[in-house]
Amino acid sequence: MLNYYDPGTQSYEAGKSILNPDFDFGTPARVSENLVTVSIDGREIAVPEGTSVLRAAALAGINIPKLCASDNLEPFGSCRLCAVEIEGRRGYPASCTTPVSEGMDVTTQTGKLAKLRRNIMELYISDHPLDCLTCPANGDCELQDVAGAVGLREVRYGFDGKNHLDAEIDDSNPYFSFDPSKCIVCSRCVRACEEVQGTFALTIEGRGFDSIVSASQNEPFMDSECVSCGACVQACPTSTLMEKSVIDAGQPEHSVITTCAYCGVGCSFKAEMKGEEVVRMVPYKGGEANHGHSCVKGRFAFGYATHKDRIKEPMIRESINDPWQVVSWDEALAFSAKKLRGIQTEFGRESIGGITSSRCTNEETYLVQKLVRAAFGNNNTDTCARVCHSPTGYGLKTTLGESAGTQTFDSVMKANAIVVIGANPTDAHPVFGSLMRRRLRQGAKLVVIDPRRIDVLKTPHADEGLHLPLRPGTNVAMVNAMAHVVITEGLEDKEFINSRCDTEAYNAWRTFIAEARNSPEAMEEVTGVPAAKVREAARIYAEAENGAIYYGLGVTEHSQGSTMVMGIANLALATGNIGREGGGVNPLRGQNNVQGSCDMGSFPHELPGYQHVSDPEVRERFKAVWGVEIDHEPGLRIPNMFDAAIAGTFKALYVQGEDIAQSDPNTHHVEAALKALDCLIVQDIFLNETAKFAHVLLPGSTFLEKNGTFTNAERRINRVRKVMEPIAGMEDWEVTMALSNALGYPMNYNHPSEIMDEIALLTPSFTGVNYDKLERLGSIQWPCNDEHPDGTPTMHTLDFPIGKGRFAVTEYLATEERASRRFPLLLTTGRILSQYNVGAQTRRTANSDWHEEDLLELHPSDAELRGVKEGDWLGISSRVGHTVLRAKLSTRMLPGVVFTTFHHPGSGANVITTDNSDWATNCPEYKVTAVQVEKVSQPSDWQRNFVDFDKRQQDFAKPAEEHSSDAHASALK
Amino acid sequence: MSDPQLTNLIKMIDQIIANNLHHGDDDQVTDVAAGHLQKFWARSMKQQVIAYANSEGADLSPLAQKTIAKLQAVS
Ligand code: SF4
Ligand code: SF4
Ligand code: SF4
Ligand code: FES
Repeated sequence: MLNYYDPGTQSYEAGKSILNPDFDFGTPARVSENLVTVSIDGREIAVPEGTSVLRAAALAGINIPKLCASDNLEPFGSCRLCAVEIEGRRGYPASCTTPVSEGMDVTTQTGKLAKLRRNIMELYISDHPLDCLTCPANGDCELQDVAGAVGLREVRYGFDGKNHLDAEIDDSNPYFSFDPSKCIVCSRCVRACEEVQGTFALTIEGRGFDSIVSASQNEPFMDSECVSCGACVQACPTSTLMEKSVIDAGQPEHSVITTCAYCGVGCSFKAEMKGEEVVRMVPYKGGEANHGHSCVKGRFAFGYATHKDRIKEPMIRESINDPWQVVSWDEALAFSAKKLRGIQTEFGRESIGGITSSRCTNEETYLVQKLVRAAFGNNNTDTCARVCHSPTGYGLKTTLGESAGTQTFDSVMKANAIVVIGANPTDAHPVFGSLMRRRLRQGAKLVVIDPRRIDVLKTPHADEGLHLPLRPGTNVAMVNAMAHVVITEGLEDKEFINSRCDTEAYNAWRTFIAEARNSPEAMEEVTGVPAAKVREAARIYAEAENGAIYYGLGVTEHSQGSTMVMGIANLALATGNIGREGGGVNPLRGQNNVQGSCDMGSFPHELPGYQHVSDPEVRERFKAVWGVEIDHEPGLRIPNMFDAAIAGTFKALYVQGEDIAQSDPNTHHVEAALKALDCLIVQDIFLNETAKFAHVLLPGSTFLEKNGTFTNAERRINRVRKVMEPIAGMEDWEVTMALSNALGYPMNYNHPSEIMDEIALLTPSFTGVNYDKLERLGSIQWPCNDEHPDGTPTMHTLDFPIGKGRFAVTEYLATEERASRRFPLLLTTGRILSQYNVGAQTRRTANSDWHEEDLLELHPSDAELRGVKEGDWLGISSRVGHTVLRAKLSTRMLPGVVFTTFHHPGSGANVITTDNSDWATNCPEYKVTAVQVEKVSQPSDWQRNFVDFDKRQQDFAKPAEEHSSDAHASALK
Repeated sequence: MSDPQLTNLIKMIDQIIANNLHHGDDDQVTDVAAGHLQKFWARSMKQQVIAYANSEGADLSPLAQKTIAKLQAVS
């Protein structure tokens, strides 16, 4: 609704190529090489063939009234307000549905048109409540604007005829309300739900005067298929569909463009503000990743930022059995520095480390790894990407030479075949999921390789995709079988292979992959997928003009995660699907800044820009800027830190914005490691699970409270802009800087832009990045340097950073984690749309209305075998632990496979996951755990302890007067 | 062997070797595996397995032993 039609706005500036994203041009842009010249009110303009008269007029700076048209929706032609006169044509055609033709002569304002428009408005208004002054849309209502524009002065029909003024309001959705009395049945909401979101939840029920918008089968929104993306709310020109936050707070008075802090899509938003209060988040049409769309998380789930649970002051304590003591920043930092230096003196330089966050900005991540490398003096830095996409880094660097996805999101609109492996875009990357669905509706073919039947397979108005429900843990067998088909059926792209790939590596791979043991028939036993289906999938991908692969954590979080990533790259190289739009290898990143945290040198073996610490020339360059020697040996990775902590050689950890206690596998092991630390410094916005084991708590700031940049899954660097002051006075980068200064290693930045300048100085793929350019271009896809001054949307177009593409032999090895008599089921884990990762943010919003608890999904036949019914409590045991969840029967997986989400800490999903990990990167094997399931009547021991421990720790953080007296007595002296 | 940290390191080496057997004969495989350790393992982890190989080493497969010997030679 933000992009409303403003009759007073001049939209067209000659020579300006970027259109004002705040302006609604009425109908979508058309792409054509043929330009058509028309004259509108005497003004000549040339536009691409297929453009509507309405859009052409808007581009010429002529505003035609409209109500049912919007430039993110196909024209519909229902309101007739956009009527115009066209020389040589009879009547008053609707300009939104009339395409331009050469030499057309259009008049938009005549007495007759004015009368026609007034009549139409009169009819609308006769069935519309006249409570404009108290209406929440007052000041942002297109109906009002158009009434004003057409000069409506009287309504002759009176208001007592048949009308909808008493229609009941649907308040069921926590974030928006539906007031049908205000509806003008323009069907913009219906089209937004279909075209933009792809859910098809809304319809217009009834005919003529009785027609009314309805969610699914006349259900309340909350019970319907609606996924609460808000596209319909944004599209509605009236207050019929309206954000409750606007109803409560009134219209915003200013706005700031920033970037979503949830998933790796990295949607751009306008934070619409009243002073320091966010009134609503409106996806920004100028955002290149999302083009004005969003999901329920980014648009609505921002209330956590002002939640009462926010940590507002620094706190310290000697032992985790003590209550927290609130202190000043200076005290907390001095306490931390003293502990860290004391521990290093006693246990050595390598006894401490730090963990950067994939949720924090690039600048913050860069500073944490710099702190570790320069102030701690070792390479013990890692990031949570260790547990999600580290195999992507390894696998893509080995084969393609760069640790990143190859495409833009928009590239999918040119794909003819889309292969989704171990990813669930409609839940975990919803805006990209919507884009993919749009392409599927246009006829692209779909192959899904996943143990679960994911929702993208149920895309309305698209062909049914091909689902290969493989056994968890057999990805490599599957990708090899597909490659075998490509090679043995002669479907490879010989020219690409000859010109772009290393011959020796290719020949070795070719010999390997052509062996009969890699055929779909031979692998059928392993994967459980019929060979014929695998052959079909391989042909669909290889024969498509453009074949694109999208993958997620279902690929990486395996003991052969890195091998699988290389297998995917092999497949793309063999079919020549690299280096142009429509193809590519596309890792979908879980958190907002996974790509950025990897780019910024979070890994213990790599300095920023994936430069290995053992390279003396690289170290020399960093030394010149940082003024210290950098250790030439890699440091510890997160799982290695845990092992070393338990062994007693690793003693202190600084964790910024990560919740390793909840998110890392084998919780018992992680808790033992955290308890073994002498000093755990947690910097976070909430008292998260990890903070319960901490000795220092430093208040973090949310994305709304700081400046910086995030890098999304398409390597796009987007600005994060501060819209409110940090709750405890410091942005996260300022905290790291202060800690460094307290440790005696000086850092003096005045603004994150200065940190970015330093990054650009040291990172070859970032040399051309700076805040001024970001301001000018909106966003930049790295590499951005002298060769690519405006960034690189599609990678590897001419060559690879390693010269030639390198095929890698990918031998399938079964994981040790396999079903047995004792643990006959395979557990796999995943996410759900409404919640985000450990849930610390989304659980503190109304998003929990959709997902209050994690459930164990199991197949009815496995349930029957165990006498389990929907909703029963189930004990789930693996070889490392035991937890209890409620049962949900589901046929999404085949019998033998069970599934759960991990959004609630009390669920203990990671109590059962093991510390098996990827051979190359130690990325944990979250996606395969052998388990047994049985009916139980009470929570597990771990869960009961969790409740007690949680309560105790929450109590410790309450203000002193609320403590029980004995707890107080043991407070820090 | 009771040291869980060391057990884990040995398991990791075995896993790395198993995933690189396709590189050819024992010599080539252990070259690759040693290179991997050199590139990705922390100093303390390297030292630990080297020390173990030089003392007892009973739980090391022949290929793991060879890998560690090569690692020791380059570090
Ligand atoms: S919120 Fe999204 S999914 Fe729900 S009805 Fe509106 S457009 Fe459709
Ligand atoms: S709810 Fe809004 S967008 Fe939908 S038909 Fe009614 S007025 Fe139009
Ligand atoms: S969570 Fe992802 S898809 Fe949803 S608004 Fe944020 S960036 Fe976009
Ligand atoms: S805007 Fe063209 S018919 Fe409604």
